[in-house]
Amino acid sequence: MKDFGVGIRKIGFLVLSILAGLFLWHMFTTFSQIPSFIFPKPIEVWDRLIIVLQDGSLMKHALITLQEVLFGLMLGLSAAIITGYFLAKSRIVERVLSPYIVASQSIPIVAIAPLLVIWLGPGIFSKILTSALIVFFPVLVNTVVGLKSVPRELYDLMRSLQANTWQRIIKLEIPAAMPVFLGGLRIGATLSVIGAVVGEFVGADKGLGFLVNVGRGLYDTALVFVAVFTIVLLSLGLYGSVLFIENRLLSWQKRNGD
Amino acid sequence: MDLYYLLKIACYPGKKGMAISVYEGGEELMKTKYMLWILVVIFTAVSCSIQPANDGPTGELTHIRLPMGYIPNVQYAPFYAAVEKGFFEEYGIELEFDYSYETDGVALVGANELQFSLVSGEQVPIARAQGLPIVYVMAWYEKYPIAVLSKTEQNVKTPQDLAGKRVALPGPFGANYVGLRALLGEVGLQESDIIMESVGFNQVEVLATDTTEVIVGYSANEPIQLKAQGYDLDLILVSDYLDLVSNGIITNEKTLAEDPELVERFVSAALKGIQFAVENPEEAFRFCFKYIEGLEDADQDVQFEVLQASMELYQTDPYGYSHPEAWENMQGVLLQMGLMKKEIDLEEAYTNEFSQ
Repeated sequence: MKDFGVGIRKIGFLVLSILAGLFLWHMFTTFSQIPSFIFPKPIEVWDRLIIVLQDGSLMKHALITLQEVLFGLMLGLSAAIITGYFLAKSRIVERVLSPYIVASQSIPIVAIAPLLVIWLGPGIFSKILTSALIVFFPVLVNTVVGLKSVPRELYDLMRSLQANTWQRIIKLEIPAAMPVFLGGLRIGATLSVIGAVVGEFVGADKGLGFLVNVGRGLYDTALVFVAVFTIVLLSLGLYGSVLFIENRLLSWQKRNGD
Repeated sequence: MDLYYLLKIACYPGKKGMAISVYEGGEELMKTKYMLWILVVIFTAVSCSIQPANDGPTGELTHIRLPMGYIPNVQYAPFYAAVEKGFFEEYGIELEFDYSYETDGVALVGANELQFSLVSGEQVPIARAQGLPIVYVMAWYEKYPIAVLSKTEQNVKTPQDLAGKRVALPGPFGANYVGLRALLGEVGLQESDIIMESVGFNQVEVLATDTTEVIVGYSANEPIQLKAQGYDLDLILVSDYLDLVSNGIITNEKTLAEDPELVERFVSAALKGIQFAVENPEEAFRFCFKYIEGLEDADQDVQFEVLQASMELYQTDPYGYSHPEAWENMQGVLLQMGLMKKEIDLEEAYTNEFSQ
């Protein structure tokens, strides 16, 4: 009952905060007399939202971006987990691959996104890869850190219990590395949306990044706002999903804590 | 940071426990503080006096920042020449080039943050339909510069041959898209009759690597670059099929109403630059080196050819004049494409008052 009350209060604060933000936005755009093509009023953005919801275009573009994000996330995660495991386990692999991995992180994604379009064509795959590339590093780092943080005594314990490699991975390494890994996944999930949108900015005729481009091209700033808010919602949705998974997977930690 | 530090010292009243404090009678520090205040006042006065004015005359010159809509390029040779030959200065203008996006330039002029911008013709009706009070005051290109090109083995000789082809362009927006749609519309084709591919500004690469069959680009740029790489090309010029209003200078209604003399000065200087470049292409090309980084290392012949091809597009008669039919055609195409929801009054969208 107490938790329920806290939950209601949290939602209340959130709603109040959003309403206050909208009010300030409305007052600012009304009294500053900034033209709509520079900074539209909340009501103009709302009207534009209704139009793109009714004609189905927002849903169409959002689903394309979501598809790219999910595939990008899966690809980035798989590559990061596999590479991270070998980096954590083998000093030679770490020494050979680390310079490349670290160097690759200094390349701005916007600089290579056009090249990906040339190499892979203008289809969905170049956007998936842009998304995967941006997801890769934070997940990789957290995988390595998570695996390296498993206490040595627990390995000794597994050995004394004569656990095989598979059992060691399932029963020890995955649960032990999970909290740190999920921290990386939270960052990766948010970044995956940015990756896909950057890919769409460079060359696409579908997706929310494309919708932003269309809005800019037509001086329809309200449409740009609608697309940007949808991108934010998508990121928040993914972040929330990871938090949900985290709560479920790490419930044992909380129980132990209690 | 230094100014902040000086201000911090000058304003700080001193704290108990400090080694020297004004409250503890530090006369030396008092003197230092007065000196610092004087320094701050002098520094501020000097800073203010050397700051360039963005919207008014500095001495005799009016500072103008001109969004060009693209990266530094030889096609802008007339503007570089106009600066280097002193034409803008002659008309009391100090010109600064700004290579930001075309749409940003239009929005800034629409909001009266800037007075002028260089834009392609379709932007004017689109922006006005959205309520941006911009006015086209000078035509730079007479012909719409968009072309459809393909390797000769594709056998795309006429717009009808585009049916069923994969056609790559930066995206379904901007001059490339408008040009393509206008061309398709002229021969009764729809967008659905082709396979449109959005590749960003990578048209040369995707055609060279056969990632696509046909590309849309600027007739003075992509074809020359591809031909220089040894490709045999077929070229279809949009301007051969339809007269559309092309690249030019815009201002806003406020500037036009309150300072028409500035518009006249600006357009006169720009037109003088165009005329100079047409009459002296080699000299105009030489001025580009100062403005385009890496031009020395680029293929000079190709770059000069780009400039010459550009010049063929901008020989308007008289200079700066845009044809009313071209505006009507452009509005028709944009309405048909759905890029404009309603007709606008074209009389308010452009003026030939400043053409020579």
